[in-house]
Amino acid sequence: MSRRRRIVLKFGGTSIGNAERIKDVAKSVAEAAKENQVIVVASAMNGITDTLIRMSDLAKSCHLDKLRSELEKLRERHLQVVEDSISNPKIRSEVRKTVEERINALEKVLEGISILGEMTPRSKDRVISFGEQISAPIVSGAITDLGLKTKHFTGGEAGIVTDDEFGEANPLMNITKMKTGKTLEPLLNEGVIPVVSGFIAATQTGEITTLGRGGSDYTGTILGAALSADDIWICTDVNGMMTADPKIVPDARTIPRLSYAEALEMTVFGAKALHARSLEPVMEYNRPLWVKNTFDLKHPGTLITRDQNVADGEVAKSVALIRDVAMINIGGASMVGKPGIAARIFQILGQNSINILMISQSVSEANISMVLRRSHLEKAVSALEISLLGKGFANQVNAEDDVAVVAIVGAGMKGAPGVAARVFKAVADRGINVRMIAQGSSELNISFVVKEEECEEAVRALHKEFKLNQAP
Amino acid sequence: MRLILVGFGVVARSLTDILTVRKQELLERYGMHPRVVAIVDKGGSVLNPKGLDLDEVRRVKSEFGTVAETPEYGSKRTSAVAIIDEVDAEVVVEATPTNLETGEPGMTHIETALKAGRHVVTVNKGPLALALPALMEMAAYNCAYLRFSGTVGGGTPILDFGRKCLTSDKILSIEGILNGTTNYMLTEMDKLGLTFEEALKAAQEKGYAEANPALDVDGWDAAAKVTIMANWLTGREITLKDVSVKGIRDVKPADLKNAAKQGGAVKLIGRIGDGEDDISVAPTLVKRDDPICIGGTLNAVRFHSEFAGNEIIIGKGAGGPETASAVLRDLLEIRERMSVN
Repeated sequence: MSRRRRIVLKFGGTSIGNAERIKDVAKSVAEAAKENQVIVVASAMNGITDTLIRMSDLAKSCHLDKLRSELEKLRERHLQVVEDSISNPKIRSEVRKTVEERINALEKVLEGISILGEMTPRSKDRVISFGEQISAPIVSGAITDLGLKTKHFTGGEAGIVTDDEFGEANPLMNITKMKTGKTLEPLLNEGVIPVVSGFIAATQTGEITTLGRGGSDYTGTILGAALSADDIWICTDVNGMMTADPKIVPDARTIPRLSYAEALEMTVFGAKALHARSLEPVMEYNRPLWVKNTFDLKHPGTLITRDQNVADGEVAKSVALIRDVAMINIGGASMVGKPGIAARIFQILGQNSINILMISQSVSEANISMVLRRSHLEKAVSALEISLLGKGFANQVNAEDDVAVVAIVGAGMKGAPGVAARVFKAVADRGINVRMIAQGSSELNISFVVKEEECEEAVRALHKEFKLNQAP
Repeated sequence: MRLILVGFGVVARSLTDILTVRKQELLERYGMHPRVVAIVDKGGSVLNPKGLDLDEVRRVKSEFGTVAETPEYGSKRTSAVAIIDEVDAEVVVEATPTNLETGEPGMTHIETALKAGRHVVTVNKGPLALALPALMEMAAYNCAYLRFSGTVGGGTPILDFGRKCLTSDKILSIEGILNGTTNYMLTEMDKLGLTFEEALKAAQEKGYAEANPALDVDGWDAAAKVTIMANWLTGREITLKDVSVKGIRDVKPADLKNAAKQGGAVKLIGRIGDGEDDISVAPTLVKRDDPICIGGTLNAVRFHSEFAGNEIIIGKGAGGPETASAVLRDLLEIRERMSVN
């Protein structure tokens, strides 16, 4: 007998932000379970991870009164949601018990931190793991409430094994595949729905780790890859990956199909719906990934697969915008023809843990420009000045902090001549000055820097020029 | 290079003057682009991660007495420690008043900065005199530089000079006049036959002596400098209590007359000799033809080294711009060292 289709449904924090939404999610899961084996991945309820980070800081600095009042608020919110989202009293009381136990455990961990007055990355992971540790039993209970069989797991219990990079752990995929095969596979075959806490996992010896930003998506794709799911749904609060931010471009559209490579470019450029790391497992195991809207699951959303889908005449698929960046120009005639300067610059920035988003150097070599996160600007400028000025390397290090990066992404740009000309003409026609340009040799994107006050206009100009508001 | 200034008295204000006036030259000659990102004084602080407008801050300081009144960036409720600990900067310039009893608040400021991995330039003798061996170890352990050229000789590069003599040679002894106030008083007593009290009054009228002159006349200021020199130049790990100190309160006009008869003058001499315990400050007879027998408020130090013999450095021992120039020298050295790492 052939296996039923198997899907992973991952729900973000907003999707399970209150009791009503959790009940809706449970209904969606029940609907999907009619024809599929379903694995559910749940984030923490929205805002909870930030609260936990705040609480761990309060614990570290021994602000016990504030800590207790935050903890009480957290307890109240969750217990209220349990009351309102589960109607069967027996299930409700079981879930309440689990939730209370876990909040008590959280309290103990926080007390421990306040006694020691220190917080290692390891204990921080312990603390912030509680958001998902608490939400999963609630979501699980709400699904059971509809008459389905479920079992909730933390990531570690489910079998996701990582290295010990606390705060941004990396999955050990083969071990994870073996372990989840033992824990989840039999349940799926019996028709039980595993509900797994997103974001958190464990080392081989069982220490709790977290998967970093966007970690719940990552849990979804890790499980999808490990259990060979037929589909992985990332259920978020937008209709998939968009041609642009609808807040900037009102007629922005959902992109129906993307390749992994295109999606990766978009996530790098800050596509909110998905995080770059979460693409790794699906790329490696070639699993189809859907980005969908929890509140409108009928909407097809975006399907991300290995295939390049370029329609006739389609050049670009989306326009992205990165704000909160700054540009540094390093200049001076002394830089011309002098080998090793670029290496020196990147070595200095590397030593100071400063990440560079974009680089450009003209053939004249009289200057090198780069874009980095605005929060790193002052540190970067100071470090570069100390090492480069007065050494015959450079005469000046100039910073501009009122800039933004605009990027146009799409596999159709590859080998299509004249794209850059169209991009810069469209922008120039609106009187916008381009400060810096970069195109990788992958040709999947062209990115450029403009003044921040003009960046939205630049996005609209490109969206219009490439007719992204119309289906290709 | 980003700086935090803690203490905004005469020296720190002079430093901001120099940084403003010599901005272009610092950049062109030394490749240095200093940005003062925070200043703390008794009334509060002013903070701008992009670099403060120093002319504006000085204007506010002279008008309101505190930098905290600076529009937009000033704040009355901030502890120096929090600023040192949390504001991102490469160097902390510690210029609060010297306290030889506890070293505070400078001690805590310097410790906080070093622990945060920030380099420190200080003109505050208190913490150094009381705990220089510990502070040097703390700096080394945290891979930070601790520099204090301005603590000995004001702008006269006595420590740097000594350090150069030390390279390749061995300093056998150091002696000299390290306190301008007492040297002025002794010069006046010698010249005009004044008593100690009369000389002190004269020094106070000239603005050379503080209202409470104990630090100077009882020899503690000179002893602090001797302590710093012993650590920095001869590798001894000592603190102020290891110095035998005698001031000039008991120096009588008759002592000066006696000295004159022997062709000499009484000077308050700080001395680091060859023996382990030979570290002292005391009124001493110095021959008039000895080059270190100088008058007025000048400082003079003789280094006696194994091969090079005697080397003497003479210069003004104090003053705002003078001492600020020593701070700038330290900043340039730190920048140079940072840039090759």
